[in-house]
Amino acid sequence: MVHKSADQNLLGELRSFLGDRARDGEFELGLYSKDGSVLEGNPMIVCLPVNTEEVQQIVTVCRKHHRPFLARGSGTGLAGGAVPVGDPVVIATAKMNKILEVDLQNRIAWVEPGVLNLDLSRELSPLGFHFAPDPSSQQVCSIGGNVANNSGGPHCLAYGVTSAHVLAIEVVLPDGRIAVLGDLTAEPPGYDLRGIFVGSEGTMGVATKVAVRLTPNPPEIRTLLLDFADVRDGAATVSAIIAAGLIPAALEMMDQRAIEMVEAFVNAGYPTDADAVLLVEIDGLAGGVEHGIEVVRAVAARHHVGSVRVAADDAERDLLWKGRKNAFGAVARIKPDYYLHDTVVPRGKLVEVLEKVYRIADAHDLIAVNVFHAGDGNLHPILAYDSKEKGVLERVHAAGRAIVTASIEAGGVLSGEHGIGLEKRDYMGMLFSAHDMATQDLVREAFDPDGLANPLKVLPSGSRCSDSFGQHVPDGAWV
Amino acid sequence: MTKVKLDLPISTDDLSSCVACGLCLPHCPTYRVTQEEGSSPRGRIALMQRAHHEGAVDAEFIQFIDSCIQCRGCETACPAGVEFGSMMETTREALTAQTHYVPWWLRLGYRLLGSQGALAAASKVLAILQRLSLIPRRFSLPRIPLTQKPLRSSGSDVWLFTGCVMDAWMRDTHRAVQRVIESTGKAVAFPDKRAVCCGALHVHAGLGPDARRLAARTIEAFPGDNPILVDSAGCGAQLKEYGRLLGSESARKFSQRVFDVHEWLAQRVEDLPEVDLTPPRIAVQDPCHLRHAQRVHEAVYQVLGLYAETVPVDDDGLCCGAGGAYATLHSEMASDVRDRKVEAIERTNAQEVASANPGCLLHLRSAGIAVRHPLEIVDTLMRKGE
Repeated sequence: MVHKSADQNLLGELRSFLGDRARDGEFELGLYSKDGSVLEGNPMIVCLPVNTEEVQQIVTVCRKHHRPFLARGSGTGLAGGAVPVGDPVVIATAKMNKILEVDLQNRIAWVEPGVLNLDLSRELSPLGFHFAPDPSSQQVCSIGGNVANNSGGPHCLAYGVTSAHVLAIEVVLPDGRIAVLGDLTAEPPGYDLRGIFVGSEGTMGVATKVAVRLTPNPPEIRTLLLDFADVRDGAATVSAIIAAGLIPAALEMMDQRAIEMVEAFVNAGYPTDADAVLLVEIDGLAGGVEHGIEVVRAVAARHHVGSVRVAADDAERDLLWKGRKNAFGAVARIKPDYYLHDTVVPRGKLVEVLEKVYRIADAHDLIAVNVFHAGDGNLHPILAYDSKEKGVLERVHAAGRAIVTASIEAGGVLSGEHGIGLEKRDYMGMLFSAHDMATQDLVREAFDPDGLANPLKVLPSGSRCSDSFGQHVPDGAWV
Repeated sequence: MTKVKLDLPISTDDLSSCVACGLCLPHCPTYRVTQEEGSSPRGRIALMQRAHHEGAVDAEFIQFIDSCIQCRGCETACPAGVEFGSMMETTREALTAQTHYVPWWLRLGYRLLGSQGALAAASKVLAILQRLSLIPRRFSLPRIPLTQKPLRSSGSDVWLFTGCVMDAWMRDTHRAVQRVIESTGKAVAFPDKRAVCCGALHVHAGLGPDARRLAARTIEAFPGDNPILVDSAGCGAQLKEYGRLLGSESARKFSQRVFDVHEWLAQRVEDLPEVDLTPPRIAVQDPCHLRHAQRVHEAVYQVLGLYAETVPVDDDGLCCGAGGAYATLHSEMASDVRDRKVEAIERTNAQEVASANPGCLLHLRSAGIAVRHPLEIVDTLMRKGE
């Protein structure tokens, strides 16, 4: 870990308005060098602003010093989007965590970026509403991070991902100006700059306030757990449910290894002898929900389902979801490290790609665990490993590349919801032509002509001419 | 940027058991208050990893490690089963042994807890000062008795552990607990003065050798095989950890005999007397050492639920900020943490709050919350309903 000491002029200027909320202690900086991925960088200074004005001042000072900056939410990203490369100033928005305004009549809430996803839904719950995108990390991930990554989650199958739930965003642009992108009307005129910003992974500025759409809580929710003796029957059931005209609120799949480690954590009665389980949630009016359950039962029966368990109450339902949402962390019960992938394949190709994933893992002497959003074909193969084994990381990366390749060959895409960040930046060429990427870069440059906002992310180096912070990921970044 | 050398004896396997997923963050009371990575379990483990690697620490390291309340809320939240509490204890012990982490006056204070005579004398001084109104209200000590009637054993079916501060300041709670146990037809024995203090506060402060000495002495005070019941969640958690702390077979056997008193009563609900009363609405605050360390907090609902309408506090068992000596040594952070708890308690609209740990009782009382030990409430209701 090479620690570049902070530029004292820059630090002094930041401290003039942030006081002790501009940090440069070596140990503390180390805490902001990583996110939830295995990648690592080096922040030069960490700033902990509490309002838009402070973010604006930080960006303005960075610009003056030609120092890159990067926004960080809860640091749970899995693609290295919040990993500081190029010795940037990290702007941690966690302290900006107020729900500013709830407008039930228009079903909109203005929130600060550091508000945690689940905190928002819990706060809204007594009013009968929630924020629909629910990443597995929803108890800790922030709305700002959701905006940056256009995050998804199990319930995005029926409700749509973050972009469908963000109406407007107040941002500090890389030149230090404050702008509101989008507005609160249904069909705003002009270019959809809000749409461009959502999912831009911090490369177009820092979100400081977000207007989110409030979704009414469904009157009835039922959660079903289906188990299969053959993972292929499970996958076929997924396609058949949707082909039968039913869009469940969520349609999740776990393979045998995932079931085992999740059950060890939650004791929810997941059948550890099954080859695969499906977690199906149906919501809406009571009659529709009952009909949906019948459809699922009928379809599953045609695909050799073992048993269909309907959660009896909220407690059982919560427990089943707790298992699903903690699955990734629970991997540590098998191996101390994991590499979580995120690709999307056409639903009809799920079985084919899953089998390839197992073969790829075997060929690289790794353990593959699969927990994923089956309903929208969003695969999350987890490669479990022990970083103490010599040369294991090369195998992990090689297997990862093979999985991405297999997904794209099956007609899929690079990433479902985790973003591109640093992790998949160099894979972009597998999906986009040089021309495509140069065009995307023009959009980025329109927002950030100096290339200061989260540099070296999303687009491969070389797609832009003004990449002034080195062409390569620094040594030691792939740790 | 001055650094101090530190040799951190935690294994690489333990340190790497954290996958840095961050799911612990919202369950950490100090992260909830500060939203700073260094005040989170994930951050603190990353600090330990770095210290282990470098063999040295800086000022921020000490500050962030010191600000941990050791509630272990992160352990029940952790899908990977990371044993954060024991890593934090090892880190504190290394800091105490190798740096000036615990000042002399504080060491003296902890020593006091291990001596019944000194503690009684200090308590008497406090009691006098209290009567002269010389103790600031913010400390909100219970009314410390000038003289105390001794506790009387009624037989030898079960032991009741009495502890240090709780026995000196809240002996009436022990009396109420004794009556509730006796209502099931069992007789209660009290240990002699060798069981003066469980050593939990010493472990938390990194005073490992003191803690081990107290543990060995406590074990001697409970001969035989009878169950040892504890009415303080913090002490109970500590007694249950003696096996790990001392690493001996006899200590492991001792720990297996230890039960939180609610845990023991919940197995015998049919032996508890019925009362004919309108049950009051009581909010239950789960002490961290009952919920996250011992993981038996449900027992309080089972026992108290026979006599009262229990309402859980809807904050996922987040710590109240008491943390043994923490509330005194880190009063500002402890009070910020408590503000969240008070809000959650107010949402319950309950008449009174039940909390099965003396530290939580004192800390919540000093915020003006009406709170008693669950079995004091049960005892009152039993006597009323007779």
